Amino acid sequence: MSFPTIEFAVFFVAVFILSWALMPHPRAWRPFIIVASYVFYGWVDWRWVLLLVSSSVVNTVAARVIATSSSPRTRKHALIAAICFDLGLLCTFKYLGFFVTQVDDFLDSLGLGSPLPLVQIVLPIGISFFTFQAISYVVDVYRGETKAASLGDVAILQAFFPHLVAGPIVRANELLPQLRTPRDPRTVLAGPGLFLVAGGLIKKTVVADELARRLVDPVFNDPLAHSGAEVLLAIYAFAAQIYCDFSGYTDMAIGLALLLGFVLPQNFNRPYLALSLQDFWRRWHMTLSRWLRDYLYIPLGGNRHGARRTYRNLMLTMLLGGLWHGAAWTFVIWGGIHGTALSVERWARERWVGFRLPAWLAWFLTFHVVCLAWVFFRSPNLTTAFDMLGQIGAPGPSPLVTLPIVFLTVAAIAIQALPSGWWQRAEGWLVRQPVAAQGVAFGVLLVVSDAAVGQQGVAPFIYYQF
Amino acid sequence: MPAGRVLGVIVIALLIAALFNSEAIVRAGEGMQQGTTRDVVLSIGRPLDDVAGAIGFHLPREGLDLAFGHDPKTASGTELEKGSTAILRRRPGGRAPGTAAWTQPTPERPLQLLVTGDSEAEFVGQRVVDQAPQGLLEVETVARNATGLTNPAFFNWELNAQQEIAARDPDAVIMAIGGNDGFNVEAGGQLYGPHDPEWQTEYARRVAVVMRELTQNGKRPVYWVPPPTARDDEFNAIYGAQNRAVEQATRAVPGARYVDIYNTINNGRYSDELKVDGRRVLARQSDGVHFTREGAVVPTRLILRAMARDYPALGGDRGGP
Repeated sequence: MSFPTIEFAVFFVAVFILSWALMPHPRAWRPFIIVASYVFYGWVDWRWVLLLVSSSVVNTVAARVIATSSSPRTRKHALIAAICFDLGLLCTFKYLGFFVTQVDDFLDSLGLGSPLPLVQIVLPIGISFFTFQAISYVVDVYRGETKAASLGDVAILQAFFPHLVAGPIVRANELLPQLRTPRDPRTVLAGPGLFLVAGGLIKKTVVADELARRLVDPVFNDPLAHSGAEVLLAIYAFAAQIYCDFSGYTDMAIGLALLLGFVLPQNFNRPYLALSLQDFWRRWHMTLSRWLRDYLYIPLGGNRHGARRTYRNLMLTMLLGGLWHGAAWTFVIWGGIHGTALSVERWARERWVGFRLPAWLAWFLTFHVVCLAWVFFRSPNLTTAFDMLGQIGAPGPSPLVTLPIVFLTVAAIAIQALPSGWWQRAEGWLVRQPVAAQGVAFGVLLVVSDAAVGQQGVAPFIYYQF
Repeated sequence: MPAGRVLGVIVIALLIAALFNSEAIVRAGEGMQQGTTRDVVLSIGRPLDDVAGAIGFHLPREGLDLAFGHDPKTASGTELEKGSTAILRRRPGGRAPGTAAWTQPTPERPLQLLVTGDSEAEFVGQRVVDQAPQGLLEVETVARNATGLTNPAFFNWELNAQQEIAARDPDAVIMAIGGNDGFNVEAGGQLYGPHDPEWQTEYARRVAVVMRELTQNGKRPVYWVPPPTARDDEFNAIYGAQNRAVEQATRAVPGARYVDIYNTINNGRYSDELKVDGRRVLARQSDGVHFTREGAVVPTRLILRAMARDYPALGGDRGGP
């Protein structure tokens, strides 16, 4: 089920009513929210629910063993078994086809036949997110940072429908304590919740889908048929599109959770204001970057073993981060660009201690390195990515470069520079209005956002495919 | 804010959205797969739409559609929904097919090609660009996902074809469509399913109506590409009926060409893998219908071969499946 659909609207109203009605009775509320989340997830294919259930069961058992066993060996084995299971799920559904194709191509290049059947396994939506959440949970239990939880709580941690399909990646110690205390129905954070849902919808339908339809998709489908101006604007437009699409989804997820009484972690903090790649990764997909830092970079050694190991660890972390997004060389190169840039930044900081670039130059360089990497992220293959870059200087008419598209692109990026105070003041003002006025305001927003997409309907959120 | 007030805000907002977007609700329902959800949505949406229309609640939405540059793509009373099978009788006149009929493409004046249809058109459009000889084609791809000919209330292809041709005036058209046409159709006051011979005739009639709009009586060739074989037997049977229907319609409309990828790829047997230029590739996506990016080369080459009969400059050895 996708957020901006009729089915979800009906589903959410029903869940909202029942969730608050059952909230004072945790023994009834817990199974209810689990079932509701499974209905949400299984709407497209009920078999996906079996994956989710199996993941919850395996990780609950592993965490129990880790928490109760006195043998360090047993605890370690339980941890490894859980991680292998989680990564095994991910690798089977996400990477098996890619792996088989690469092996097949390699054997073919040597003139050898390949016995492996070429397979295309359906990728369950959200698998990258709930498996990473599961790994984070068992590792935190192992490290003693969180207590082992019941099967029901682990099921909710993984399956809670606002964050299930595309994050944020929630830590156990962020959500589990909230589950242990019934939320207060008198103090629902309606202002931030409704604003986030409405704002996320507008970002997705009015900005992201428009930019995709009118410029990004036509240009990335056939770069050589477009002028340099169109290609360059399409790259900037994709930067705006992916931000609005992904942060729009996250805003809706966080807003819906707030309306149900739960606080999810922030996932974006005005990433295009970053003055360095390191800063960018503290602002973009924050829950993924902290996951990579805490469960990959630091266990690899982080920056504790000298410069060369630090650069190696940065590269490995970002390459695997790229691969997490998808089984394709374009994502690996995207990660490689970020890993290289982070390493170069680090080297430069250590080489010229105390030296700082002017802020405008630091911003300019950071933004353009990020955009360069986006070219690979968006392109369906390497050929298209290099065609895009090669075409930037090409002359020719540019019918796709229109004032509305330029305005949308610039506005989507520049709006991040606005102080956030105005947003909070608007929220505060709106929730003081009568219920009917608030309802009308949000209703109008829903009408406008639906009109923006027209008859094509809302395109799937970009991060659904991960 | 108390949960009760929040619920009030949400309900009012959804009611406002439902009243002013009632047409969109009906369209969304008509685009759904047959089943309970579709029935429920339409049983609420249609009466709501009637009431909203009577009060004039469609007007703000129509204004917004204009502001966002969306052309209306549904209409009632068109020939696509109801018309005579006389259109399937072969007509004299119009331009006869042949190499002299249409202006041949050159690097100075490439062929303006419109690739349209449902989601399959997206893949075909992309591959036509890189499979055709360089510089002879200027391709514009307009894919209308989830559309077909059996549900004109949801999306009217006769109307859309008129609008696309008026807006773009291409030299030639590739139409890749059919994957969403497994619905029943009404003909002569009766409903027929895809396994009925009457369904095939009615589908052929609708294909001919849209072909006629696209070719404009032989002014340009239209290469109609129905679905290929599918992994699922049920879909496969439906696609077989569609292919026969398109072949029938093609005989009646000047300038129309049937590109048979159903019986020719792998000799009409479904396979997930195909050989392209001697290399085994995964040709179909997990749904067992759509081609992968690599697999789409195969039908694309068949399309280009069909085009090369009218435009010899597009011919040449590109290898084959």
